[in-house]
Amino acid sequence: MAFLTPFFLLGLGAIAIPVLIHLIQREKKRVIEFPSLMFVRRIPYQSVRRRRIRHWWLLLMRAAAIALIVAAFARPFLHQGAIAAAANGGAREIVILLDQSASMGYGDHWTRAKDAARTVVQGLGADDRATLVLFNKNAEENMRATSDRTRLEGAINAAKVGSGATRYGPALKLAESILSRSPIKRREAVLISDFQRSGWSGSEEVRFPEGMTISTVSVASPNTANLAVPSVAFARSSFSGQERLTVTAGLSNKGDEALKDVPVTLTIDGHEIQTEKATIAAHASGSVSFTQFTLSSPNVRGFVRAGTDPLPADNTFNFVLAPSEPVSLVIVDSGDRAASSLFLAKALSIGTTPVFQVDVTSASRLTPAALEKRAVVIMNDTMFPPAGGGGALKRFVEHGGGLLVVSGDRATWPQGEADLLPGRFGATVDRTTGRSGSLGYLDYSHPVFEVFKAPRSGDFSAAHVFRYRALQTAPTDRVLARYDDGAVAAAEKKIGGGRSIVWTTTLDDSWTDIAVKPVFLPLVHQLVRYLAHYEPPTSWLTVGQVLDLTARAKGRGDRSDRIVVTPSGERISQSSAGEGNEGLLELNEQGIYEIRSTGAASGRPEAIAVNLDPAESDLSAIDPRELVAAVTGHATPTAAQPAQSQEMTREESERRQSLWWYLLMAGLLLLTAETVIANHLSRKEKFL
Amino acid sequence: MQSPAIPGARFVDPKVLMRVGNLELLARNVVEGFINGLHRAPFFGASIDFAEHRGYVAGDDIRRVDWRLYARTDRYYVKQYEADTNTNLSVLLDISRSMKFSSRGIPKLEYGCYVGACLAYLAQRQRDRVGMITFDNDIVSHIPPSAKHFNVVLGMLEKVKAERPGNLAVPLNKMAEHFKRRGIIVLISDFYEEPEAILEAIRPLKFLGNDLIVFHVLDPAEIDFGYEDASSFQDLETGEQVPVVPQSLVKEYRAMIQAHIASLTTKFSEHRIDYTVLNTAEPLDRALFSYLSARERLMRVR
Repeated sequence: MAFLTPFFLLGLGAIAIPVLIHLIQREKKRVIEFPSLMFVRRIPYQSVRRRRIRHWWLLLMRAAAIALIVAAFARPFLHQGAIAAAANGGAREIVILLDQSASMGYGDHWTRAKDAARTVVQGLGADDRATLVLFNKNAEENMRATSDRTRLEGAINAAKVGSGATRYGPALKLAESILSRSPIKRREAVLISDFQRSGWSGSEEVRFPEGMTISTVSVASPNTANLAVPSVAFARSSFSGQERLTVTAGLSNKGDEALKDVPVTLTIDGHEIQTEKATIAAHASGSVSFTQFTLSSPNVRGFVRAGTDPLPADNTFNFVLAPSEPVSLVIVDSGDRAASSLFLAKALSIGTTPVFQVDVTSASRLTPAALEKRAVVIMNDTMFPPAGGGGALKRFVEHGGGLLVVSGDRATWPQGEADLLPGRFGATVDRTTGRSGSLGYLDYSHPVFEVFKAPRSGDFSAAHVFRYRALQTAPTDRVLARYDDGAVAAAEKKIGGGRSIVWTTTLDDSWTDIAVKPVFLPLVHQLVRYLAHYEPPTSWLTVGQVLDLTARAKGRGDRSDRIVVTPSGERISQSSAGEGNEGLLELNEQGIYEIRSTGAASGRPEAIAVNLDPAESDLSAIDPRELVAAVTGHATPTAAQPAQSQEMTREESERRQSLWWYLLMAGLLLLTAETVIANHLSRKEKFL
Repeated sequence: MQSPAIPGARFVDPKVLMRVGNLELLARNVVEGFINGLHRAPFFGASIDFAEHRGYVAGDDIRRVDWRLYARTDRYYVKQYEADTNTNLSVLLDISRSMKFSSRGIPKLEYGCYVGACLAYLAQRQRDRVGMITFDNDIVSHIPPSAKHFNVVLGMLEKVKAERPGNLAVPLNKMAEHFKRRGIIVLISDFYEEPEAILEAIRPLKFLGNDLIVFHVLDPAEIDFGYEDASSFQDLETGEQVPVVPQSLVKEYRAMIQAHIASLTTKFSEHRIDYTVLNTAEPLDRALFSYLSARERLMRVR
């Protein structure tokens, strides 16, 4: 034990102060004037008792408090600790980065990784501190910087392999952040992983500054053999009014040896439907198709399992199936012209994703009943529906329906119903003389034209426009397309929950020849999909994705609370009123998530299939030295360099041990306790 | 700061008067006076309060004959009315050294000045004659009652100082000789004497048929003895110092002061003397209002 500022110890003489106060307590000289002392009895002070110490332990508390505070100011430190620290080159700040991605479940990788982490912990010195960071796609500080080996080993033992993909960037950034905050000079990161190549793109902007080192422990196995089911495709067909489905499973052999007669099994709702044999060459892919089966109910769960290997997680591919729902729409035309909707009806009869269910009627026969259960109404060059049809059309759009108004010779729209349109129709513009018109501008940011954004994804300029109706749009309306002369070709207006789009020329061969151009079919499909709010069904999601359950529930009009059951059986309650992050569900596990609505009647709960990131199946490893070089800027890991032994100064030893802080706190606590006790005694005895 | 036009006018606090201004200080006993006032006179006279009929005797003013009664009874009766008159109000203010005590807020002496000034104002407003006597162990100053002495009373209140020890018996006996006419006497003191001695000193004032009102002015510290630290206590009257540990005798002190007040209450009530304890921590208007309203209520019941 030594002191950095020993002259402060002279303050120990202050211990005499409480003794003197105890012994030489003077009578108080305060005089209070009082009108009359006729009622006041005379009570003399207890002068005899004042001359001896009454509370020895109270005196000791005061003396001890003063001694502790004086000792704290003298800045004590232990020699022994300084010598030990100097012997091994000083204390270290270590961050253990333990990869817990799905690929670590291969063979004994995870066991070896944990053993390596324990070895690092056991090698910690008395003054060393370590932080355990578990990472996959994201990195999490599992155990904050501590010298407690037991806690660190406990955290390592409790860690489990996850289902996430491997990403080294977030883990290394977190390590760099932790190390840069540390006051300790020797700072090291230890990365324990199988070093999957897919986890490092090289574009991560991670750079350890000088003084920080990184050492690596690779648990990768040479000559890995891994068969994976990275995807499943579904082919739907209709047979005698029922939907039939063909499942085709993709297989990928990442191993160095060909796999022969691997059993691939399709299981639907817990029943094994079929098992096929597959043979896949080394580093090659294949597929297996199963026989058709009828799909009649929603939320049908299934999975495809192929063979067995040291990484079983990617041998199974989960999915959830639901019968496809056709988009129902009605084309309303004038009815006075044969086959006026031929192009539209034909184009829409071709769709498979989704299937379009098309009915054609005339404006005069449009009834409210005809709009029931429709997603889209196409007013194809016709007048506004008379009588109840017009009102029904308005309500239809306000309640979320889609309206496509195609203008032409016969298109008339009453002024009173103009609020259903994005603008007001003007006169017909004739472009038959001279050069015909063409579409000159398309809003590719709009979902309708987004698919045409890429080069050679549809040439709209090839279509000739001979006539169109002028349209004066309001500032609030969105113009989707313009002709080469700047006039509006298509515009959109949102009304209530629905959408209304006006196409200012025809969608047949009367005013334009777009109907015979290749872009016609995808254009019509995109228009109807957008107006119908069509979302392609998702049969599975990938680990790491985040699901907005509140938005999903709102979309279905479900206002009740939810309970989510994860594949591991954990139950998560979610309130329907949850806002912000509360309604978000991060899919961290592989398998089937069940979402039960508390207000729903008994039945099959909604299911969501979650699969591994296909990249996790690729076990090819990166050279750890390559990663270290990228992070540190050194060609060789600097961790291999022996730490320079340096003698710690007295000041450094004292600063690291910080014994003064504990002494000061103890002294202050003693003083506080002494104050409380002395006050209590003072009140009890009624005199000092 | 501009000084008020009349010395001592600060003791007539508008806030206090606003509260007690609608009350009247009525003499409990019959008093004699020359001016029609509020107090009952020993004579029947011109008034609006009908008292009784009596038979006509020669010499009575025939204007007072009740002719209606004569019509019914065929006898002459004269109507008699109760006469109201004015009275003397004398404020006896103790200005012994103990009265200058103040634990917080205003001293007892100043509080007593306020009480005296307010009562004098009330009396003067109802056309009574106002006088004032200050005393400690002897009479210090004396202003005889007069309808014109209100401002003089205020001027004297402005100048009073508590400088000497007090004694009730000597000055009150002297005062008893001054009072020739029945009236209202207001005695304001802190009464640091034994109850028997106090009563013995006051009794001569009562003998004359005066309506005696006693205000016992006490500081809150004198009532609850809220001291904490052990200190030397100095008697303001005698200058004697006594070391005191307040917490050890606070209970006994409180019991003794309460017993003193209770004893005074009993003894004064036995002699039909109004006795009121005034705590200087309480607003003056509240204390005066409660006293005057109670007195007025009792007077109406007679």
